[in-house]
Amino acid sequence: MSQKIFCRILTGIVLFSVGVVSIGCSNAGNSKYWGKIDVPKEDNLRYITGSEPESLDPQFVTGQPEARILIGLFDRLVEYHPKTMQPIPSLASSWETTPDGLVYTFHLRKDGKFSNGDPIKAKDFVWSFKRGLSPELASRYAFLGYDMKYGEEYNSGKSFVKKNGKFLPEDPAGASLDGCDLSGPKCLAVVTDEEGMKELKENDKDTASRIEGAEFVPVTADNVGISAVDDYTLKATLKQPAPYFVGLLCHQFFSALHQPSMDKFKKEWMKPENIVTSGAYQLESWDPYDQMTIAKSDKYWDAKNVKLNKIQFYPMDEQTTMMNIYKAGRVDALYNHTVPAAWNDEIKKFKDEYLLHPEVTIEYYTFSIKKKPFDSIHVRRAFSLSVNRANLEAFRKTIKQTADFVPSIFPEYEKARKKVFAELAKKDGMTEKDLEARLFDPAQACKEMKEAGYSVTDGKDGKCKVSDFPLDGVELTYNTAESNKAVAEFVQSQWKQNLGITIPLKNMEFKTFLPYRSAIEYKGMARAGWVGDYMDPFTFLSQFYSPKNDSSTGWWNPKYDALLDDANKDLDPTSRFEKMARAEYMMMMDQPVIPLGVAGTNWMKKPYVKGLYPNPGTMHPWKFVYIERDPSKWDHDVDKIMTEQSDPAVDAQVAALEKTQLDFEKSRTELTKKESGEKDAD
Amino acid sequence: MWHFILKRLLTIIPMALIVVTVTWGLIRLAPGNFYSGEKKLPPAIEKNIRAKYGLDQPWYVQYGKVIGRIVRLDFGDSLKYEGQSVNTIIKRHLPYSATIGILAYLFAVVVGLSAGIIAALKQNSGFDYGSMALSMLGLSVPSFVMGPILVLVFSLWLFILPPARFTGLSSLVLPVFTLGAIYAAYIARMTRAGMLEILRSDYIRTARAKGLSEKTVLLKHALRGGIIPVVSFTGPALASLLAGTVVVERVFAIPGLGNMFVQSVFNRDEPLILGVVAFLSIMLMVFNLIVDISYGFLDPRIRYE
Repeated sequence: MSQKIFCRILTGIVLFSVGVVSIGCSNAGNSKYWGKIDVPKEDNLRYITGSEPESLDPQFVTGQPEARILIGLFDRLVEYHPKTMQPIPSLASSWETTPDGLVYTFHLRKDGKFSNGDPIKAKDFVWSFKRGLSPELASRYAFLGYDMKYGEEYNSGKSFVKKNGKFLPEDPAGASLDGCDLSGPKCLAVVTDEEGMKELKENDKDTASRIEGAEFVPVTADNVGISAVDDYTLKATLKQPAPYFVGLLCHQFFSALHQPSMDKFKKEWMKPENIVTSGAYQLESWDPYDQMTIAKSDKYWDAKNVKLNKIQFYPMDEQTTMMNIYKAGRVDALYNHTVPAAWNDEIKKFKDEYLLHPEVTIEYYTFSIKKKPFDSIHVRRAFSLSVNRANLEAFRKTIKQTADFVPSIFPEYEKARKKVFAELAKKDGMTEKDLEARLFDPAQACKEMKEAGYSVTDGKDGKCKVSDFPLDGVELTYNTAESNKAVAEFVQSQWKQNLGITIPLKNMEFKTFLPYRSAIEYKGMARAGWVGDYMDPFTFLSQFYSPKNDSSTGWWNPKYDALLDDANKDLDPTSRFEKMARAEYMMMMDQPVIPLGVAGTNWMKKPYVKGLYPNPGTMHPWKFVYIERDPSKWDHDVDKIMTEQSDPAVDAQVAALEKTQLDFEKSRTELTKKESGEKDAD
Repeated sequence: MWHFILKRLLTIIPMALIVVTVTWGLIRLAPGNFYSGEKKLPPAIEKNIRAKYGLDQPWYVQYGKVIGRIVRLDFGDSLKYEGQSVNTIIKRHLPYSATIGILAYLFAVVVGLSAGIIAALKQNSGFDYGSMALSMLGLSVPSFVMGPILVLVFSLWLFILPPARFTGLSSLVLPVFTLGAIYAAYIARMTRAGMLEILRSDYIRTARAKGLSEKTVLLKHALRGGIIPVVSFTGPALASLLAGTVVVERVFAIPGLGNMFVQSVFNRDEPLILGVVAFLSIMLMVFNLIVDISYGFLDPRIRYE
């Protein structure tokens, strides 16, 4: 009897599951779209931007999840172009620079307003920029403001050096009888605390002797190279030419902040009831770890072109959860790198929703080049040459292979690099084919190992076996993550196949790994990734700039610095990029790193969300985004969304904004022409 | 009895301080810090940060400050989430974890107890085998498998329940079930075992011999002894449920304390880690005390002197 009941229960369970599965099957698989398409009834966008925002202070946060929200809340002098992320006019309707590239003047629009109705004036930017640099704020992104004259000195708490009542210049050769003028070429500034003095005495004896017996005047916010000429004209003075400067100003660090409300509410200033914003949106509600809603600000100068009334951000960490909620039709778009690798084959079939475009990032392995065995340039080259990057690309599915350090997302730089690399390679006795073979060339790798003095036994297909490679003390370290592990194992097998060397792998928790890598304590090789801060190749190349550089390899070359300095002084973009490409060539030939690939955007959006582009940094200026209710106008074939499938309405909106600067430049050229014409007539 | 409670309550204070001290030491031993990221900071910026958060002071000064704050039950501000105090964070996220945790536990107790009692009474019946097989299944399927399967069926195939986020009653069903299933299975097995043992004991035989009705024997005598293992399990179980469970919170994107706690460790957010650890340890000790007290009511053999 009891067995009978048991059997009945079991049958019931089986029938129930079969029923569920069959319902499931009938619902899935027959649609053009992945999951439910539930067009929102109102112009509200539901977006997943990643982890819970750390803060809403644009000068405190460093992460992309926050940056995407802050773009909506705070306006800057310039806004990201929705597709290219190049600067387009925003609160500055136009700008100009002096021929030496040292002074930028921004002309602010007069209708700029904070969300409480206060006008946005040049002094607001002056205050905001100086706030970001103040040592008390201790912003992690303060270095973005270091291009402004004395920005670094102020942030580092340095002091000017005064001797006999006169400031000392930074360059001893430039000393004049009148002393250094703070408004002229840079004056000397040093750290005056015990630690700083000790370091100076150890590393820079000349300066230490110059400042003996001098008095110190602290660098203050007033010395920073940013000032208001009048209410609507802002002047930035740089320490050295930085042609990427305007592009840098798209970053949230350079937002227009509202001083009165921040002074009044102190720590509480970013609460929804207190916050005063300057962007297209204001903060409506914030329930940490649950949701944040921003609502259109009717005080915004371009409010008539802002189409979404509200944007809801859901903080989330788990990829599968995001994908589930997207599939269930409860969010409209995801942020970058959200499609799990295992789902890629399935998801990429949805050509109207899946966005895979190159990003402003590079994934690579660093070498510890001061220690054996990677102190040998031949060994480094061999290890790079023996990784089959085409196969890695096919394996990873979302990256683009590369053998260079600057990702190929800057079209003009790409042209310059092609030309310069070919020219320099020719000098080094290499052909263009050799350059391309840097992506994978096992035969050459074996040759390099021989040249490094190892005993190499040749095998089939250009492969070989290195028998006496010292494996003790060599490993590849990466920070713990499923994808990092997969890549490391892949590369490990490549070295095994092509060189017969099995490098041990080691993983480490992220925060433990960071100091280990930056102190170059790792043995042999370590994983690294770099996300550009602005849309210029310099954001990548600067990683190897200066002897104290951030490359975690130990590589530095004064000639490299000189080339980059020279490039940045060049106001002509083409020749500037050519100089930068020379620097990159010099660095890459030394192979301090193994470039692996450029990451792809790898996210999804529902077809009715328009104006949201897979740009290289996944930074979305929200005022271009809208919800399309007419299915015939929905986005389709989004592989081409940046080109022929582009949205004419958005393009027109961007063009209208760009016009103020273009008109300004045109009128300037006409003026100069006229002036030179008058001079000729004289 | 009161003497016992007072003594136990007083030991909580030094115990919590020891836990906090050990945790603080462990955080300090762990490499890395809250401000480090993929991009290395210029030394000057690192110096500014260390000065701002008092990390440039000697360790004993920093430790003194931490203990001084905690004694006043103020855990300070989170390092990761600017301007948010740890107390606010715990207050804000505890209700989410607690709602799901308590509901899951209620679900587990109702289902587990009834299944366990019936199974014990009808030992070796179809129900016994069936429910114990199901409970075995519940015990062996981890929540990170159960959660996604439930989401797949109810949210992505049937579209009847939300796949994630805390948005209302319907959004509670899946997480509560996922979380409660394991506890229900556990309780069912414990109740069954406990009941079987008690039902064979002398005092139940005596009760029956006295001529008490079967209902009174079961509910008044057997059940009290039978659920003692369940009660002792309740203390730690409730504490950990209230504190939130990482897996369920992540799978269903619920803003609970569990995920917050784990993230705070990855972020090296010292005040938040210490705050949650202190809170959890105190809660665990209090729940254990309550459990110990309740023994006295359930089992006449236990007396506190």
